[in-house]
Amino acid sequence: MNEVVHQTQQSQPETPPSESRSQTALAPAVDIVEQADSLMLIADMPGVTRESLYLEVDNNVLSLEGDIQLSMPEGLTALHAEVNGQRFARRFTLSHEIDSEAISACIDNGVLTVTLPKKDSHRVRRIEVQAA
Amino acid sequence: MFGDLKRFDTGASQRQDWFRQLVDELFPDGRAADIRAVPRGSFPMINVARSDEAVRVYVFAAGLARGDLTIDIQDNVLTLRGRREPIAANDDTGNARPVFRRERASGEFVRAIALPDGLDAERAEARHANGVFEIVLPKREELKPRRIEVQVA
Repeated sequence: MNEVVHQTQQSQPETPPSESRSQTALAPAVDIVEQADSLMLIADMPGVTRESLYLEVDNNVLSLEGDIQLSMPEGLTALHAEVNGQRFARRFTLSHEIDSEAISACIDNGVLTVTLPKKDSHRVRRIEVQAA
Repeated sequence: MFGDLKRFDTGASQRQDWFRQLVDELFPDGRAADIRAVPRGSFPMINVARSDEAVRVYVFAAGLARGDLTIDIQDNVLTLRGRREPIAANDDTGNARPVFRRERASGEFVRAIALPDGLDAERAEARHANGVFEIVLPKREELKPRRIEVQVA
């Protein structure tokens, strides 16, 4: 499991560098499921390595960014391209119950899994019904 | 390299896809689609590039390990088969989990793509890294570019 979360708590006044390049970025397909104590986000980012991946939580916005790392020889001419971009990027707004300090992530075979734990006060509690 | 390939654009990003579909329905363009063209978001996505020596096929199959993709070539048609497991619908305790988004393809898939003529399927190789498969199909010797020296008369 690779810990790849970078966190910045205060918002930066200038626009992040991703804004200007977002034109060419591909939106990765994601699955999001809820569990009792966390949300899990799974994103397809083929070609993205642990080193080329950048995750950030800023002002309750989770940013996923990753550059596609392909070792291609010189002198190639494209015949057909379904993936026509060099990078993936997508952003999600987190709800306040997410404990942004405890977010963890790993990337395996190009699939990014981000675990977003809920704060203790927001975990599921089952209430047992007492016999009257 | 594939980033500046606007003429091979297969569609806008997935986020704009609903809008594109709406516009396409309202204003269908008369152009015929390629017989093997696929809609955006097909799994796995494929890029094909050519060099002087070989044709290289890049298969963007996140989540597939080395042995999960079957690659067959017959009559210049490359066929890719495999299966990607869906995420578990239940958590550890067996309770169903609410799902907010399910965009990732799962289950069995088969994709076929036509390749240029003159490839030597016998010498084909495939590599895998970070969810991308690279298939290298060398050209037959007689199809490689050749420089012709001008002889002294």
